[in-house]
Amino acid sequence: MKKTTILDLISRKLAPFMLLFGLYLLTYGHMSPGGGFQGGVVIASGVILLFVAQGVEATASLFPFRSLSLLEAGAFLLLVAAGLAGLAAGAGFLGNPIAGVDVRMVPRASMILVYNVLIGLKVGAGISFMCMYLFREDR
Amino acid sequence: MRGGRVTAVLEVVVLVLVALFLLQALQGDHPESSEVRGHLVENGSRETGALNLVTAIYLGYRAFDTLGETIVLLVAVTGVIYFAVPAGKGDDEEDHDTRSDLP
Repeated sequence: MKKTTILDLISRKLAPFMLLFGLYLLTYGHMSPGGGFQGGVVIASGVILLFVAQGVEATASLFPFRSLSLLEAGAFLLLVAAGLAGLAAGAGFLGNPIAGVDVRMVPRASMILVYNVLIGLKVGAGISFMCMYLFREDR
Repeated sequence: MRGGRVTAVLEVVVLVLVALFLLQALQGDHPESSEVRGHLVENGSRETGALNLVTAIYLGYRAFDTLGETIVLLVAVTGVIYFAVPAGKGDDEEDHDTRSDLP
């Protein structure tokens, strides 16, 4: 594959910052614009930039297919588990289990933070997995 | 030729109507107020803890909807894994071999 120096350099320099910005959107989704889905898509776009510029083989050594699929399924299971935690605390499925705790000890938004991070990891892993899987070279 | 002109006039009319609708919708306050909106604006941050009201709604009040969206993505990934067979290997009888080493 022919590749220009500009594409090579820009993708190498830009992709880490895109991944970092995606993580920022995940962790600050409860107080500023952002959230799980948006942050996950930004993470996935960083991965997509990497494999469009550097090739799927090189990117798959950094984000292996197996760990991406495991992360996707595992984050979904953890999300359901977090929902069941709300059920166990008496707030209903997907309710906020720490609503009864004193706000000064545990901020009430920490459950939203957990949901956001889990959804973001799941969306990022899922979308980058799909795109990398469609773009991969024939074995 | 004539039909094309009529279509163009109709397109302009539709565009103007859409522009009027958007202008009305974008002018600050929505004309009608609803009980749910007032409740969300007043109590949303306090009840869920999220300062961002959008997050307060989609992870606090409508978390089932969010769970459904993640399930949709899970199903999409499953479909891509199932259907994306490498080119030239799709109709072979070795169909199962191409999928054996998938995650």
